[in-house]
Amino acid sequence: SSGGMATNVGALVFDIGSYSVRAGYAGEDCPKADFPTVIGVTLDREDGSTPMETDGDKGKQSGTTYYIDTNQLRVPRESMEVMSPLKNGMKLMFEHYNIPAFFLCKSAVLSAFANGRSTGLVLDSGATHTTAIPVHDGYVLQQGIVKSPLAGDFMSMQCRELFQELNVEIIPPYMIASKDAVREGAPASWKKKEKLPQVTRSWHNYMCNCVIQDFQASVLQVSDSPYDEQVAAQMPTVHYELPNGYNCDFGAERLKIPEGLFDPSNAKGLSGNTMLGVGHVVTTSVGMCDIDIRPGLYGSVVVTGGNTLIQGFTDRLNRELSQKTPPSMRLKLIANNTTVERRFSAWIGGSILASLGTFQQMWISKQEYEEGGKQCVDRKCP
Amino acid sequence: MATGADVRDILELTGAENDGPISKKDLINSDKKKTKKATETLTFKRPEGMHREVYALLYSDKKDAPPLLPSDTTQGYRTVKAKLGCKKVRPWKWMPFTNPARRDGAIFHHWRRVAEEGKDYPFARFNKTVQVPVYSEQEYQMHLHDDGWTKAETDHLFDLCKRFDLRFIVVHDRYDHQQYRKRSVEDLKERYYNICGKLTKVRAASGTEPKIYVFDAGHERRRKEQLEKLFNRTPEQVAEEEYLIQELRKIETRKKEREKKTQDIQKLIKAADTTTELRRAEKRVSKKKLPQKREMEKPAVPETAGIKFPDCKSAGVALRSHRMKLPSSVGQKKIKAIEQILIEQGVDLNPMPTEEIVQMFNELRSDLVLLYELKQAHSNCEYEQQMLRHRYEALLKAGGGTGCASTPGGDAQAWPSADDIKVESKEQIIDVVGAPLTPNSGHISCSISSVLKTK
Repeated sequence: SSGGMATNVGALVFDIGSYSVRAGYAGEDCPKADFPTVIGVTLDREDGSTPMETDGDKGKQSGTTYYIDTNQLRVPRESMEVMSPLKNGMKLMFEHYNIPAFFLCKSAVLSAFANGRSTGLVLDSGATHTTAIPVHDGYVLQQGIVKSPLAGDFMSMQCRELFQELNVEIIPPYMIASKDAVREGAPASWKKKEKLPQVTRSWHNYMCNCVIQDFQASVLQVSDSPYDEQVAAQMPTVHYELPNGYNCDFGAERLKIPEGLFDPSNAKGLSGNTMLGVGHVVTTSVGMCDIDIRPGLYGSVVVTGGNTLIQGFTDRLNRELSQKTPPSMRLKLIANNTTVERRFSAWIGGSILASLGTFQQMWISKQEYEEGGKQCVDRKCP
Repeated sequence: MATGADVRDILELTGAENDGPISKKDLINSDKKKTKKATETLTFKRPEGMHREVYALLYSDKKDAPPLLPSDTTQGYRTVKAKLGCKKVRPWKWMPFTNPARRDGAIFHHWRRVAEEGKDYPFARFNKTVQVPVYSEQEYQMHLHDDGWTKAETDHLFDLCKRFDLRFIVVHDRYDHQQYRKRSVEDLKERYYNICGKLTKVRAASGTEPKIYVFDAGHERRRKEQLEKLFNRTPEQVAEEEYLIQELRKIETRKKEREKKTQDIQKLIKAADTTTELRRAEKRVSKKKLPQKREMEKPAVPETAGIKFPDCKSAGVALRSHRMKLPSSVGQKKIKAIEQILIEQGVDLNPMPTEEIVQMFNELRSDLVLLYELKQAHSNCEYEQQMLRHRYEALLKAGGGTGCASTPGGDAQAWPSADDIKVESKEQIIDVVGAPLTPNSGHISCSISSVLKTK
């Protein structure tokens, strides 16, 4: 035997999302690197031009430095802009980095594989979008994909508005030299750091977003049943303190904000009520598929994405779906409970796939790319 | 707490003196002069392969002999442990390999044992594909031409089938619906299987009858339509269906009960009739005083009517009065009834058990029970009839009041909120017409039915 199932040709797996990038070695159970999908670019003081290419252009010696990992990024620097990197094309991969082979796979398929299924409905609720993708036998059914913009960023926006209503300013930690303890609900008392470099607006916003995202992850909760004022008022409150010392007990707002994900009709800031709640996204997606496979899809609803880690999300989703489906339909939600697995399920699927012996025939080699060009990707990658 | 002996044991170093657990003496007298061990402590080596904790649990208390027969423990507790470090490492080499399943002959590298150099890539044998037929231009022109499909579209379909291994759902999803027409999954399947069938026929050697898979597109379409409707039912429809099924079950059970009742009554009547016939026959025979053999057959008395006295063919001696005893199956009420009538008629409750008397007394009591049952049945039917008549009259009034008259069947639409009692009584009315009741009420039922029909 040739050493078991994993024939390590030594593959790297990248999963580039809009919030974070996960990267690591195939065959491992979690990515080695997990960092936000932003690049910090310091501008040249003199010409102020923003180089948009990534490091493909070797000739440029402009002294631009790129910062991508979390630690480097959070150090305040002068004139450091924050932007989302361009997606690397295949051209770059093959021609610049000279890799021997590569393969593209849809993240929904990989998430399903990571949960041990080749057929199912993958509900991915990340930062920018909540998407329902039906996967059948390892292939995505493109005509059944339903996308909704109500996701993590929408939650962040609502949290921001809440703080605005409460007249609370969001101060990121980099600005704070010291703070005093204040009683609940009282205005914060803190001292600003001296000698702060002049940071750009984009970077400052980015740091504020980090604060809000922390609040979002700690405090928000989805209620079991459609939001009710009285029920929400009786929920236990959660105490949260902002970096600048402002602290408060949050009660009904905890439930009200995420309700917008499931029932957008009353959510603030949505023009017109044409948005679909998460439950509707799922049922619409399944409804667009052939009736024969619908039981298969409902029997494996895979929940992934960082936004689904909000407390109570899966329970509420389960309830909504069981109400909307016929009673004879067997419904099963698959949602890993560990943070790591739900955020990284696409990466883990890629790791599994790349280490299978039977997968080695599916790589797109350099030779094939040279012969076939971009079309070979369409053909070989499902 | 891990002691030195434990540590040595864990590391499986060949132990020092005692294998057994440390005694108090050793601990306390460690600085004083060591007392000689009085008795030689028998230590027992634990069976190889048994975990030391397990052994300690079993034999740690006293240094008694473990209650084990000496046995071969090589087969029992041996867990397969990898014997590491025994032999030399088999060398591995970073070697290039080609994958026969790949078409481009790309060369990748991986680690493999030197011993396996040159062997085929083992996973290549898993590369299975579905056999999708390929047709030539000629074949297409001659046999596969179809009005609804152009050659380009057919080629596209077959290309997709090959790529996706005949997963028609996926083929349908990736189908170019803009360039070609909008096709349903059944359309695609139909065209594909049609072509396959034709090709097998054309290519088969002459004289052989090849087996062709026939795809029934019409059936599939109807089936899917049915499924869609089922899937899209509203909860109200589902509830309604369940309600209707429950109602149906109720009606069925009631019907069965009624049928059973009528059957019972039938039996009773039959029993009564046959016994009366028997009596008459007997009387005639006895009047004529002719020792005629009973040539006519005794009509079988249904055994559920009356009392069946057990025919005791007991060996040995038995009292005749035993035959006069009522079997235990006769209920208290019946016993009371019998007693009452016997007392009324002035008959002795326990007559002298001569042969003739025993027989006749049993018959008498059987007849009495039969009579009692008949009376009961009769009064039940009378009561039912009264009740139904009242109900019927009430319904007639109600029906006449709202202005909807007609046969009971037509009334089904008149009661939309199927009120339980009303439904039931309607059913009763229908059934009353059908079922034969006791002779008297049968007369009345006929009249009721005639009334209903004329309405």
